[in-house]
Amino acid sequence: MVEAVLQPLNIFLLGLGGGFLIPLLYKIAKPLPAIAFVAALVGIAAISGINLWALHNGQPTIEILTAGSTPPFSINLRFGLWEGVFTFSVNVAALLGAWHLWGRLRDSYAALLLYLILVMGINGMVMTRDLFNLFVFLEIVSIATYGLLGLDRGAAALAASFKYIMATVLASTFFLLGSVLLYHVTGTLNIDEMIARRDLIAGPIGVTALLLVLSCLVIELKPFPANGWGLDVYEAAPSGVSALISGGVSAGVFFALLKLLPLFENHLGIIAISGGVSFLFSNLIGLKQTNVQRMLGYSSVAQMGLLMLALALLDKLGAEASLPLVVGGLFVNHLFAKAGLFWLAGAVGRSEISAWPAIAGRPLVLLVMALLLVAISGLPPFPGFWAKWELVMQLSRGQQYAWILVILAGSLLEAAYMFSWFKQATRSVPNQTPVRPALRALLPATISVVVLAVSGYLAANIAGVASLWLFAPLCIGGLLYALDWLPGRVKCTMMLLAVLFVGNWIIGDLQGLNRLFAVLLLTCGLVVASAGLYRNDARPGYFPLMAVLLLSIAALLRSSTSLEFFFSWELITLSSYFLIAQGRNAHPHALPFLLFSLVSAFSLLAGFALATAANGTTALVAFGSASGPVAEAAFIFLALGFLIKAGAIGAHVWLPGAYAEADDDLSAMLSSVVSKVAIFGLFIVTYLAIRSETGLELAHVMGWIGLLTTVAGAVMAFQQNDMKRLLAYSSMSQLGYIITAIALMSHLGWVTALYLVANHLMVKGILFLAVAGIILRTGTRMLEANDRLWRKMPLTFATVVIALISMSGLPPLAGFGGKWLLLSAMVEKGWYGLAAIGVLATFIGFLYMFRLAHAVFFGPARPERTTIQEAPLQLLLPQLVLVLAILALSFLPKLFMEPVSQAIDPYFASTLVWEGMSLETIYGYWNPMPVLAASTAAAALLFALAWLIYRRARHHGTSLDLGRFYNFYQAVLAPVVLPVADAFWNGVSRLVIDAAGSVRRLYTGNGQTYLLYVLYYVVAIYVAAI
Amino acid sequence: MGLPVSHILLATGFLLVLIGMWGMLKHRNILRIIIGFSLIDTGLHIVMVATGYVTGHTAPIIDKALGIGDATSRAVDPIPAALVVTAIVIGFSVTAVMLAFAIRVYDAKKSLSIDALTESKW
Amino acid sequence: MKRAFTLLAVLMFGIIFARMVGDYSERQSVSALAEHYLSVVPQELGAPNVVTGILITFRGFDTLGEVAVLFMVAASVGILLASQPEARQQKELTEPEPRRPSELVQNGAEVILPLIFLFGAYVIMNGHLSAGGGFQGGAVVASAVMLLVLAKPSSQLHHGFLSITESLAGVLYVSIGILGLIFAAGFLDSHILPKGDFGTLFSAGAIPLISTLLGIKVGAELSVIIDRFRN
Repeated sequence: MVEAVLQPLNIFLLGLGGGFLIPLLYKIAKPLPAIAFVAALVGIAAISGINLWALHNGQPTIEILTAGSTPPFSINLRFGLWEGVFTFSVNVAALLGAWHLWGRLRDSYAALLLYLILVMGINGMVMTRDLFNLFVFLEIVSIATYGLLGLDRGAAALAASFKYIMATVLASTFFLLGSVLLYHVTGTLNIDEMIARRDLIAGPIGVTALLLVLSCLVIELKPFPANGWGLDVYEAAPSGVSALISGGVSAGVFFALLKLLPLFENHLGIIAISGGVSFLFSNLIGLKQTNVQRMLGYSSVAQMGLLMLALALLDKLGAEASLPLVVGGLFVNHLFAKAGLFWLAGAVGRSEISAWPAIAGRPLVLLVMALLLVAISGLPPFPGFWAKWELVMQLSRGQQYAWILVILAGSLLEAAYMFSWFKQATRSVPNQTPVRPALRALLPATISVVVLAVSGYLAANIAGVASLWLFAPLCIGGLLYALDWLPGRVKCTMMLLAVLFVGNWIIGDLQGLNRLFAVLLLTCGLVVASAGLYRNDARPGYFPLMAVLLLSIAALLRSSTSLEFFFSWELITLSSYFLIAQGRNAHPHALPFLLFSLVSAFSLLAGFALATAANGTTALVAFGSASGPVAEAAFIFLALGFLIKAGAIGAHVWLPGAYAEADDDLSAMLSSVVSKVAIFGLFIVTYLAIRSETGLELAHVMGWIGLLTTVAGAVMAFQQNDMKRLLAYSSMSQLGYIITAIALMSHLGWVTALYLVANHLMVKGILFLAVAGIILRTGTRMLEANDRLWRKMPLTFATVVIALISMSGLPPLAGFGGKWLLLSAMVEKGWYGLAAIGVLATFIGFLYMFRLAHAVFFGPARPERTTIQEAPLQLLLPQLVLVLAILALSFLPKLFMEPVSQAIDPYFASTLVWEGMSLETIYGYWNPMPVLAASTAAAALLFALAWLIYRRARHHGTSLDLGRFYNFYQAVLAPVVLPVADAFWNGVSRLVIDAAGSVRRLYTGNGQTYLLYVLYYVVAIYVAAI
Repeated sequence: MGLPVSHILLATGFLLVLIGMWGMLKHRNILRIIIGFSLIDTGLHIVMVATGYVTGHTAPIIDKALGIGDATSRAVDPIPAALVVTAIVIGFSVTAVMLAFAIRVYDAKKSLSIDALTESKW
Repeated sequence: MKRAFTLLAVLMFGIIFARMVGDYSERQSVSALAEHYLSVVPQELGAPNVVTGILITFRGFDTLGEVAVLFMVAASVGILLASQPEARQQKELTEPEPRRPSELVQNGAEVILPLIFLFGAYVIMNGHLSAGGGFQGGAVVASAVMLLVLAKPSSQLHHGFLSITESLAGVLYVSIGILGLIFAAGFLDSHILPKGDFGTLFSAGAIPLISTLLGIKVGAELSVIIDRFRN
């Protein structure tokens, strides 16, 4: 009995019976239809869910017969795992959608029955195994959609609906003709039998019939450019209806395509191209949208394109095993993220993107929005991330590189417009009338987020990496977020404790380089993060994100496969982005940060895909043995990704803004800790290059990139009048040294790199925290505006001086050792040009660092500011700890050098690039006195030279006026630091946006033009297939 | 003998489809566009029925002219006929909905020109 | 310019269609599936009209879907054309007295209407025996309603009655389907009623019953749709 109630056929009985009953119930009592509607919809969802669960637990696929007869004679339906996943997701989304649309549905029993039958129709499209029955369900779905579109009587909505009807009606006409002709050719309407007899589908009639069916399905999925009618409806329809079309109706049509795919074996290329073109171009045009729903429409079209692309390519490559993760993941991701965003848009009720600052100060709305955007952009932990990863891996295995490019480019564009929407939403605009959507209205979107998170975990399970430590950062973040109502300092303490214990647990028994980095980054991260105690405001969301950031770093270091690595990498990116975006003036800078991070991530993804295809495994250790041209290509992509993220020259434009506008203590974290993650990445991928000659050439190129970055960073730091910007460029400059050191690919080079990493970690932590204290006390970031602070903030002064000495490479502190090691390693390798540039860069570095100390602590006295005190203890303590670390590093180098050497030895023991010298030899060789003398002399000489030039140019007296000296050289160097890179990237973005602007002119808004596109699309498919 | 019946029907049906297409694309008035769709639909129905015709066979209804025994050898294919009933009903339904929209569009814009329906674009 | 593109599109479809017509060769025998139907429907289901037999049993799921489509159209048209109260009032105020229908239509209707209704009922009832069936008969009935509306513009259709009728017919249709599930081999199986004597009105299992329900439902739905357009 229970079985009979639960069998999937009852979905139709509930849908139709419920639908037919609704008018009757309405006659009996007004509230009855609503009750029946809810009962039927819940029943449908429950039946699909329970059956899916049973199938998951091993129950065989359910075959549903009708009319007491067997398949080829009567219509039959099927409920297998695929059907279960699709119907259950759609039904759950339909329930949420009904909640969202309730205001409109409640008043009209006709709308209730349309909605109910529509949902049933989608279930039918998914389950039926009869071609003509598929047509009937397609029409049921279409007509119900038309009816629901009629709920909005606005002129724009009616106009859009009419265009929609014109196009879809024509498409379904093609389906009708195609299916009848297919019957004529094959003698059956049963899909399974037709697939078995597909050889009969030949000749003009058979092929045309097949193409007509294909055309209808493709057109219904709204391919670029034959989709203007769909976009107009997405824009003009009520948000709930748009969500339904975007998620539900498209799901039905897509499943029809999936089901009929064996028939289209010869046309997979067409499907893939159609999907790829739609994905790329829709995402391009999305950049230019100002209306929220239309923009979401473009994104919908793009996602369906991606699904088509993935389906066709995986089938072509014979990678059916990946279909559940890729197609299932992308589908669920699209369904809930897109529908969720439509619902959110409806709840907020602002149709123009520029009006979205209205939600500023609504943390829940922002959180839901942010998570949905993360999901739709295919970022972790949501299913789209796992799906895209698997898709790219499979494509790389099948050597479909062009498609990888299409997917990554499209994804980047999509993230760009989605997050610029978020940027608008986080913009603070005075006099904005805020919206306060009721909690009730936010419910569907919020539940979508939960569903997405759960399915993300399931997808990770399918991908085989769902381990607790990998998800620990997110769990802790979520937990802390639940306690976000506590006072700021309490939260900070809890965050520190959580990171301490969970972080320790994550890095557990790591060995070698990973352990070294883990200990360094986690310790330093904790020290810097503890500075967060100096603020006593609540900082909503800050501490949970900080926990995610630090723990993700730990998880990244524990990763043993590239997937785990990439997952943690993306989490680091995302948490830094959201942290930066909280800065008061950060919103213009957060977006470039995210976009460059994504370019970096995608280039990593490409690199990992190539490496995985070459290594045959995702294990990171396999990098050590990879060889061949694919390994080199992989190295280029991976190195590119890490270099972008490290802010190497050319791609550094995101760096100053993000570092400068982030919260003051966050800047310290970004510069000292987070930037080292990219460095760690460089370490592990350089193995790829070690094996071959060209690889070493590539390493040489990387060496040059590193030092050019150093010089450029130094010159630009020299130009700054803003302390934080100066430090930001300085950070870029210092990372350049490290990049060069890694590029040396020798034992000495790597020891140097690690030494510099440790040094920079502490130095930048101190400097940014010191600046945080100064800003707190003086209220300004400008160098000029400071005065003789050394008297008022003596401790800060002391830490800054120590940090500067260490960074500039003056003896006796750690920086000196680093620079010395670097120079000798370069000379040893024969890179004399680079060594010379290194000396120059060190000199410029010395100049700007001296200027920093001089301007801030020895500026003109300003007696009016008498109240300035020393920085608070919470800021000073971390600095003091770091100072101690610097001293330890400087005077007890062995403490650090031994583990470093141990960590590196295994990698270079086999290659013997390190010419047989043991570490003791290096230390023995390390006689600082002559080098000290030489370098001091060189520096003095350079300084004298600079002074001389300055004097001759200005004919000044001998008085030591440092301010003028710096002004002079700033002017001299100005032409060198023309913002070429900025101009370049601005040009690129303008070009892309202009392209979007011209392509979208295709959509004239005229229904007949749209129709013409549809017809030509069909003709194009026909011509392409014949 | 001349042309087979089904060829004539097919050609007629497809011609109607083409005329309907032309009507949908050419005429600005949305009522005419709807008529264009109806023509396409009707043309298709003719094509569907035509594909079921078997040379010299009769309607698939058992009566005095067609005994139970020789139904299989003397009747035309009943399936297209069954399908066309469904198709006609659906075609009718779509036409009705389009007309209802046309009425609403006219109410909102006081015009029946498709060129006026361009609020959303780009 | 656009004209040229339009012409080209139609031309290309012309070529596609022409290729199909050129390739078409008239069938000399029915498909195996059709052969099965042609023998099973009269012999096992007991319905002389094979098309109706297929529609109501083997493709009954389609037919149920079709009914749902019509049902939804009635609802959609209702949503779209239901005029807001204030608009209706205004309409009544501003619109001139509608033109009276011609003498011919009025008188003709009086004579023909009962005949059409009768014919509709006949087509519905005999759907399993001769050419016809629920849809066809329902359409005939609706055409009578159309004529009624034209001949007597002031006549009011009883909406409540019609919508209850169509709902009830629909619910009964689904229920008969479920009875098939319980008492016969599956959903919409027509063997729940005895096969009866071949060629008589009460034969062919549940086919005539479903056909009648279909006729009633279609007739009522089409009438509702026609009436909605009147306002």
